[in-house]
Amino acid sequence: MKARGIILWLAVGIPLLWGVMRTLQNAMKLF
Amino acid sequence: MASSFLNRESTIAPAGYNRFLVPPAALAVHLSIGQVYAFSTFNLPLTKILGVTHTVPGDWNLKEIGWIFSIAIAILGVAAAVFGRWVERVGPRKSMFVGALCFGGGFIVSAIGIHYHALWLLYLGYGVIGGCGLGICYISPVSTLIKWFPDRPGMATGMAIMGFGGGALIAAPLSVILMSHFKTAVSNGVLETFVTMGVIYFMFTMIGVYSVRLPAEGWKPEGWTPPLKPPALVTQAQVAVDAAWRTPQFWLLWVVLCMNVTAGIGVLSQASPMIQEIFTGRVTPQMAAGFVGLLSLFNMLGRFFWASASDYIGRRNTYFVFFALGILLYSTVPSIGSAGSIPLFVAAFVIILSMYGGGFATVPAYLRDVFGTMHVGAIHGRLLTAWSAAGVLGPVLINYIRQYQIDRGIPKAQAYSVTMYIMCALLLIGLICNFCMRAVDEKYHYRAPGKNT
Repeated sequence: MKARGIILWLAVGIPLLWGVMRTLQNAMKLF
Repeated sequence: MASSFLNRESTIAPAGYNRFLVPPAALAVHLSIGQVYAFSTFNLPLTKILGVTHTVPGDWNLKEIGWIFSIAIAILGVAAAVFGRWVERVGPRKSMFVGALCFGGGFIVSAIGIHYHALWLLYLGYGVIGGCGLGICYISPVSTLIKWFPDRPGMATGMAIMGFGGGALIAAPLSVILMSHFKTAVSNGVLETFVTMGVIYFMFTMIGVYSVRLPAEGWKPEGWTPPLKPPALVTQAQVAVDAAWRTPQFWLLWVVLCMNVTAGIGVLSQASPMIQEIFTGRVTPQMAAGFVGLLSLFNMLGRFFWASASDYIGRRNTYFVFFALGILLYSTVPSIGSAGSIPLFVAAFVIILSMYGGGFATVPAYLRDVFGTMHVGAIHGRLLTAWSAAGVLGPVLINYIRQYQIDRGIPKAQAYSVTMYIMCALLLIGLICNFCMRAVDEKYHYRAPGKNT
């Protein structure tokens, strides 16, 4: 159950983190 | 076999199931459908389907392409309202699966439309079929999470709906990368990107389909007991969907959501030209793109932050903050613009956009407080028609009033001031409606057939 939970959270967390990092990189152009 | 896997009964969780395995299912679905917010990345490439590198006669124009997104958002609200009861009946797994088929299928139909250069197929594919997928997928996981987290409904729905905001952050760079990868001498890569995205999003939504579970009847978190004396607006009773929308509370909440969304969506739709025009010569298109990115980020973060905060300060108080703070910020924006302070301008709008996202994420928990959990998904679906209305009202207000001001000779930098004051008036209407919210009259409470009390 625990391993399944980690895999599920990673599966959604990694793409989201990637998107946030890309957006932050873009947002830095404002300053 | 596959049919029984999708049935509601197959999704009932066994005893001892860890409820924190359910939010990733909801996130997988919302991260996928959140792509719709990044559809504008396809706008320019779709005007160069025939010319590949530039627009040639026969290519579609931006005005025609703009309708694809508008249709999708309008159908989202309609589908959520129409299919809400069905989603409650068949359960989250089957509805997510059907929603994924529609959303992924919408991309494929649109790709066929690009191949034959038939714009109506894009309206039908991404707009109508994809829009149905958006509506069904949007409401499916929300009521499930509310049932799993009766102690923290705001945080739970905030987590899921945060995914809808986050989906755009993934889809925007992903679309650019895919179009660049598939670009050839005879294709600008949009068709191939549509097919790839249709498959990717279908597969990603399957994570949610596979892992979603419903709690067993009567389940509650270990050690948690419902408060003996709930806050004034929180009901222990249930209101059926057909009774709910006959209550004044439903329509007050409809206006509350509509006003909150109108104020935010108008800014989102015009953020890039607005900051460039208000700070003429000081903000480049690249910097404006950074501003749009920052707004999207705070739109996402606000969903989790405000919805979680609403568990502590109450739903009505949270909306009071949205409206009161919104009025304060919108009314000071013209002065900030005149003063030429870009950091203050950005700070005001990221807070406004966080409250825009927060409004979406807090409303399912507000509905649960007022109408109970029985039909919360279906009621939420019907309430989302307010989003469709705001999707038209917000951009129209910003665009038309700005143009009217410019036509009257007002400099572009000041053309947004009147709009900001109109947004204040809209937020004031929302504030009053939110203030009028009371507990639902007992005559609307659901009574099981054969029971008189």
